[in-house]
Amino acid sequence: MPDGVRLSPSARRASRSGEPRSLGRFAHLAYGVLGAVLVLGLWQAAAASGRFGSGLPSVLETLSALAGLLGTAAFWSELGATIGIAAIGLAVSSVIGVVFGVLAGRFPLVRSATLAVTEFLKPIPPIVVLPLAVMIWGPTQQMAIFLVIVGCALAIAIQTIAGVEDVDPVALSTARSYGIGTAESLWRIVLPSSLPFIGTAMRIAAPASLVVTVVAGLLGGSPGLGRSIYLAQSAGEVANMYALVVVLGVLGVAAQGISSAAERRLLHWHPSFRKTGS
Amino acid sequence: MNTRKIISVAVGVLVPIALLAWWYLASAGSLNPFFPPLRDIVVRFKELWLFDHFATDVLPSLGNLFVGFAIAVILGVALGFAMATVPVLNAMLSPVVQFLRGIPPVALIPILITLVGFGNEMRVASIVIAAMFPTMLSTIDGIRSVEPGLKDVGAVYRFSRGDRLLRVYLPSSLPQIVSGMQVSLQVAFIVMIASEMLGSSQGIGAMTLLAQQSFMSADMWAGILLLGLIGFLTNILFDLVKNRVLSWYVSSKRLERAA
Repeated sequence: MPDGVRLSPSARRASRSGEPRSLGRFAHLAYGVLGAVLVLGLWQAAAASGRFGSGLPSVLETLSALAGLLGTAAFWSELGATIGIAAIGLAVSSVIGVVFGVLAGRFPLVRSATLAVTEFLKPIPPIVVLPLAVMIWGPTQQMAIFLVIVGCALAIAIQTIAGVEDVDPVALSTARSYGIGTAESLWRIVLPSSLPFIGTAMRIAAPASLVVTVVAGLLGGSPGLGRSIYLAQSAGEVANMYALVVVLGVLGVAAQGISSAAERRLLHWHPSFRKTGS
Repeated sequence: MNTRKIISVAVGVLVPIALLAWWYLASAGSLNPFFPPLRDIVVRFKELWLFDHFATDVLPSLGNLFVGFAIAVILGVALGFAMATVPVLNAMLSPVVQFLRGIPPVALIPILITLVGFGNEMRVASIVIAAMFPTMLSTIDGIRSVEPGLKDVGAVYRFSRGDRLLRVYLPSSLPQIVSGMQVSLQVAFIVMIASEMLGSSQGIGAMTLLAQQSFMSADMWAGILLLGLIGFLTNILFDLVKNRVLSWYVSSKRLERAA
């Protein structure tokens, strides 16, 4: 039995804290830095070993290529094009997605008429229609925006439908008994109370819009960092290519951070956010 | 109520049929270079995929998809387990993982091309690396959210470490792992197409892009149709397996709700 007494408390403490054995904040940070340094060291060693030839630049070469890129106007205009395409595509997607989602969520006939088509299109990524978009618009901004819409609008619509179906029926019948019309109750009751669902959809769609923009540039030649990577790769400027991928990583992390912060900020008033206290 | 249900089912069935019929009729005799007659597309679909290019292009693509997906899931679950149960490993790797996750999966393909060339290994490796993350992250989340009570029971009965992983942690985090796997499958599908479109001459993606570049629009549409079908069918297949594997979970949730 003494053995059991010795084991049990540690197991108990562990389960309360959620992690097997949680580290202090400082240790966590220190290990994180150590891990990053280790990975960079491995990269440097792999590059120095020469096994990959010119295919793998060293960390220093990549960093100096990055510094060089940051000094060129072309880089910033491609970065701007990437963000612009993603933002325009996301804005159009959200309008299409929310309008369609509210209609389909509120009117069963609209929902059943479109169910088969949306269910079929849901698992099909925008890259599938990329050849068609390139054929119609060529390597342009419109093509990339179209693909972002293909990639994001349906996901936003599906979340919106879920949000609309989640609306409190008592609120709706209250509105009806006060003689509030259909259009006004859509605007005043259905839309606000489905906003958390829409917010979640937007938080996921924002990084996704960047991903689709990069795909459109890389495979379809539309302006932006995706195209820059393609050009760097075909010109054999390997260090530049790695630097651009690093930029995309930073951009992706930033997009995730900004969109979750924006979600909390804009929806703090909603009960589902107040309850969790965040 | 009942007539309403019948109407909604009828509308649900008739609208897609009407859309297809409209596409067929409206495109018949179409001279628009982008939208060839649906009839031509179907004819090309049969000629290309059934079964002329089936063995040379369709099968290799599907093979890459499934091999890449399988390796990604195994690695993702293993790494996820390791990171969730070894705090030091988690602290060390999570910044790196967070950063790598921010990179669009498709942007890794050019890097792999410079590292290993245009061969088939590159395509499988791209799929593995990109598709690993969703499964890995959901495994970590799944294990973190294992109920403390269950962990206590495992500790009280002094299960060995392996038993605890296999009998307590794995089953109770399975629902989350499986939903991560579904995202992985979608990522694997995207990267499969992208890896073929970037400088390859084999595979469905390559043929579709090639058809576009040579303005053979019926061929391109046939490729889009096939890719769309594959995306749709793999997802359905996954759903079927998921419902089978997680049937205990679904029914326990239903009981919980009823109680």
